[in-house]
Amino acid sequence: MTQVGIPLSNLRPGQRATILRIGGNRAVRRRYMEMGFVRGEDVLVERVAPLGDPIEYLIKGYHLSLRQADAGHIMVQVSDEHSR
Amino acid sequence: MNTAARELTIALAGNPNAGKSTIFNALTGLHQHTGNWPGKTIEKKVGHFTHNGFKLSIVDLPGTYSLAAYSPDEVVARDYIISEHPDAVICVIDASNLERNLYLVVQVLELGVPVIVALNMVDHAESMGMEIEKARLARLLGNIPIIPTVASRGKGLDQLLTATLEFVSANTMACNCEKPTPFRVDYGKDIESAISKITNTVTANSVPMNGYCPRWTAIKLLEAETDIVKRIGEISKGDLVLNAAKSQISHLEELYGDDVDIITADRRYGFVSGMSRQVLKSPSVKRETFTDRVDNIVTNRLVGLPIFMGVMYLVFRLVIDVSDPYLNWVDSVINGPIARGLSALLTSVGAWDWMHSLVIDGAVAGVGGVLVFVPGLTVLYFFLALLEDSGYLARAAFVMDRFMRVIGLHGKSVIPLMLGFGCAVPAVYATRTIANRRDRLLTALLIPLMSCSARLPVYLVFTVAFFGATASTVIWVLYVMGLVVAILIGLVFSRTFLKPDENTAFVLELPPYRLPTARSLLLHTWENTREFIRKAGTLILSISIVLWFLLNLPWGVANQRDSYYGQFSAAIAPALEPAGFGNWESAGSLVTGFIAKELVVSTLSQIYTGASAEEEAVPMTVSEEVLSVATSFGEATADAGRTLVSLIPGINLLGTEEVVEDTALSHALRAGFTNLSAFAFLVFVLLYIPCIATVSAIKQEFGWHWATMSAVYQTFLAWLAATMVFQLGTLLGYG
Repeated sequence: MTQVGIPLSNLRPGQRATILRIGGNRAVRRRYMEMGFVRGEDVLVERVAPLGDPIEYLIKGYHLSLRQADAGHIMVQVSDEHSR
Repeated sequence: MNTAARELTIALAGNPNAGKSTIFNALTGLHQHTGNWPGKTIEKKVGHFTHNGFKLSIVDLPGTYSLAAYSPDEVVARDYIISEHPDAVICVIDASNLERNLYLVVQVLELGVPVIVALNMVDHAESMGMEIEKARLARLLGNIPIIPTVASRGKGLDQLLTATLEFVSANTMACNCEKPTPFRVDYGKDIESAISKITNTVTANSVPMNGYCPRWTAIKLLEAETDIVKRIGEISKGDLVLNAAKSQISHLEELYGDDVDIITADRRYGFVSGMSRQVLKSPSVKRETFTDRVDNIVTNRLVGLPIFMGVMYLVFRLVIDVSDPYLNWVDSVINGPIARGLSALLTSVGAWDWMHSLVIDGAVAGVGGVLVFVPGLTVLYFFLALLEDSGYLARAAFVMDRFMRVIGLHGKSVIPLMLGFGCAVPAVYATRTIANRRDRLLTALLIPLMSCSARLPVYLVFTVAFFGATASTVIWVLYVMGLVVAILIGLVFSRTFLKPDENTAFVLELPPYRLPTARSLLLHTWENTREFIRKAGTLILSISIVLWFLLNLPWGVANQRDSYYGQFSAAIAPALEPAGFGNWESAGSLVTGFIAKELVVSTLSQIYTGASAEEEAVPMTVSEEVLSVATSFGEATADAGRTLVSLIPGINLLGTEEVVEDTALSHALRAGFTNLSAFAFLVFVLLYIPCIATVSAIKQEFGWHWATMSAVYQTFLAWLAATMVFQLGTLLGYG
């Protein structure tokens, strides 16, 4: 896959995407992978915290929240615009 | 048959929220003890019991998502398995979240230990329409036992134990890598060939691996895990292995254009995903669950924050109000029947006066000082366990993270900080819910700036004496000042010596809401309370005894002013001159305030009015004493009940607040302080050295270094702030 994609942090709640690539430093990348953010995985943006950050995602069937700056390292391709 | 019971050590591993501690508690009950891992401040729990003639020790490893050794928890869990060689590891996995949980199972299996899987919360998975083919999963994991359990209801635990014991008996080779387990992750042609090149180097040169499994070590070396690299470098001919690994790493990195550990993690996850696809049938449509519905409200953009504030307020009120009657009860029992009984006993055996005083004023007062914290702590630990086990704590962190980030902290720091308004001691212990040590430490250093309830009596006495109608405003100003100072200090510390770790990303799981079991709540409460009494208690008691000596030496001092304590207070008094209260009385009260902040008032009252408020003991028989203890406990419970009901808006069973009267002490204080110096004194009390109990809690959690740091920086800060208040005030003509 050679698509560049967009950062996960740019997505709105309700959007679904496929993970293309994980950036950031080695330790952080490793951590994300261990939490299930691996290439080809589907991720759904669930909701944004009341103060605008962090953001809750649904991945591999469980809920996880990441800060916006961290989610910016994860490049995705939007796969589905379903409304909620 | 061998008559001696066989001893087995079994470790429990699993993801956070997989129900690991529920299983641990259910298996071990009250037969558990806590301590720290060697060299680490992470809590270690071990439980012992006998089952079918086996003497079992169950070790609860920290909950982790992985064994990659990026967090202290992971290092502890992994090191334990590698170096302590448990007879088996039970992996507790959340059946409704199979894939991510299996990732850890696979890593434990790779270490070469016998593994038993507890497929926990199967009821929840089934209610979500998931079906797991257990036989197939067992086969894919190398024929290991897989036991479905519902730990919260005690289901499947007997089977789990039986299967574990059978499996261990059949696999006596415990942790022996010479007989490789049939389980292996296939990392693909290139990586596998790199692994065998490294293991071949090991065999060809007969490198002594000190018990490390060669295949596992080869994988870790390829992943460039620093502590494994270091350990292999320490064994003889280890450098040969390291060189082999190094050349393989550069070969693989050239091939993939990426770090090897990223490739291996990817492959491992690929392996796990494949496995989970084969054994798991789940409904394609995701239904809106109970958790989703609750989260739509509690993390809602509009009401999320108010709900959080409400929850905190409620916990705060419950801790203060419910524990208060019991606190008074404990106090009255210790200073009443117990002190009287001991006193009578000492008199009857003809003890010297000084011995009498040492026991009553030193030891009993010291023990009392420890025990009065217990009711509040017990209530607090209970609600903390409730918040954490139910899943709300994670939501609170989610909602408050953005705000806490401003002062360089994590969302989870918010709860300990709020608790600091009640009592800093449990608040410091509550930092245990924060995973990262740096975040925990910064939180603990800021907690004493939250004005705790023990400082309130000091504020009350002074504001009533000096500020009359504006008393409550002054108290409010002090609370806000504590908050503002905490924000400033947080900003300074997180930009200087406690910088956020760049290598840790904020990753917060929001687990499904669960109804905590009464058993686990009570166990958590009991465990933490016992820990407090044991550790903080001994320190507080010994310092109290030391202080008694200071107050009573040199022998035969009639006046406190002439004791070592009085001399010391007088010696430091000039340092307080710029802040406006440079007399030995203030200094002395601040010194005793180090024991407990509320003692500032009693010391001042003793010094100024000369009378300790002790009533003459009414002689009572033993049976009368016992009866009065029992009835006063009943009254305390009734009071707590009334307070609980009164928390419901619109109901007030408590009557109006009592008014603090203008006492002899007020008059005396007005002679010793001006309005300005009184306010500066209160600012000092707000900010100066945390009480002994808090300092010992910080010592217990982070070591002497940080406990001293906390005491020193706050005292300096207090002096600076009080001096600024007094000098500026004088300049502006308020003196």
